[in-house]
Amino acid sequence: MEQQIDAAVKRGRAYWFADGFSELILGAFFLLLGSAVLLRVWAGQGAFLEGFATTAIDFAVLKGVALLAAFLAIWWLKDRFTYPRTGYVRGKSVPPLVLLTVIRNLILIALLPVLGLISGLLFVPQTRAVLAYLPAGLPVAIGALWGALAYFGGEWLGLRRFRLLGWLMLLAGAAVGLWQISYGLSELPAEVLQWSILDPLPDALQYPLDEWFIRMLTGMGILTLATGAGFAVTGAMTFFRYRKENPAPYREES
Amino acid sequence: MTGKLSSLSDLDRVIHEPARLLLVALLSAVDTADFLFLLKESRLTKGNLSVHLSRLEEAGYLTVKKSFRGKIPHTEYRLTASGRKAFDKYRKQLESIMPGKKRKD
Repeated sequence: MEQQIDAAVKRGRAYWFADGFSELILGAFFLLLGSAVLLRVWAGQGAFLEGFATTAIDFAVLKGVALLAAFLAIWWLKDRFTYPRTGYVRGKSVPPLVLLTVIRNLILIALLPVLGLISGLLFVPQTRAVLAYLPAGLPVAIGALWGALAYFGGEWLGLRRFRLLGWLMLLAGAAVGLWQISYGLSELPAEVLQWSILDPLPDALQYPLDEWFIRMLTGMGILTLATGAGFAVTGAMTFFRYRKENPAPYREES
Repeated sequence: MTGKLSSLSDLDRVIHEPARLLLVALLSAVDTADFLFLLKESRLTKGNLSVHLSRLEEAGYLTVKKSFRGKIPHTEYRLTASGRKAFDKYRKQLESIMPGKKRKD
């Protein structure tokens, strides 16, 4: 009986994903982001330092605009398609203070390792030896993180397809990592350990760092595309099933 | 009477009814839900659903907000604090009577 009550509670929680729109939009977002990363690489704009700042700013703007557009699109689609068919549900509101605490903790958890790594790389040259492993290690770590989020999110919502997506992300990250390893780890010259961030980048480092940065972007772009494709496929399947099970309600013409 | 048996007789009869238990479980996970959502999820008839929702409202477990979406009447239901408390208590009692898989939430 407890399991049936649990299932009913999860049905309420998972209603946001019942029509597939959220996954379709999320998939489009990841596909757009992955394509933008790979286009940047193919356009030869992935150079280290010169490209790093512009890449970070461009993607931050792209993510902001795309997230806003995605939110508006989901709201519009649900209002016209989902609510007339299966009803309107307002999710539990979170008090602003709790929301701020959660966001702060997430930022701290996500940013601390990144800031630690960047600070280490910039100010403790010996740690730069780890750079060679990043093109292989980063997609594995990010794939595992996204995979864990999708898997445990699916457990909480009672959506089995999210568990599958979790495995897909984990495997995609591992596959990209293995592909990078099969290429061989980046060979960074010994000068990288002596170079101070305050000095201009030596010519001997320019090409290896550019290549390293491009490999990182390529790996992350492929992982992002694979994740987007996964979301798009499950979203489309969910949408078609939802549409079949919930035909348009009858409306008397005036 | 043993502890377990007394827990059984203490179960909240308003929530214990299967259709109302389903409605309360659905509403416990959201802020508000409308009549159509509860109708689709519970698969009750409109009349039956109305009766159960009225019973929950009488017990003080639900609040009802009626409005219009365009020209169509729209009724939203929200579980009250006492409704949530009663649902939590009911689940705890059920667990103590039938200990099984631990709740995750």
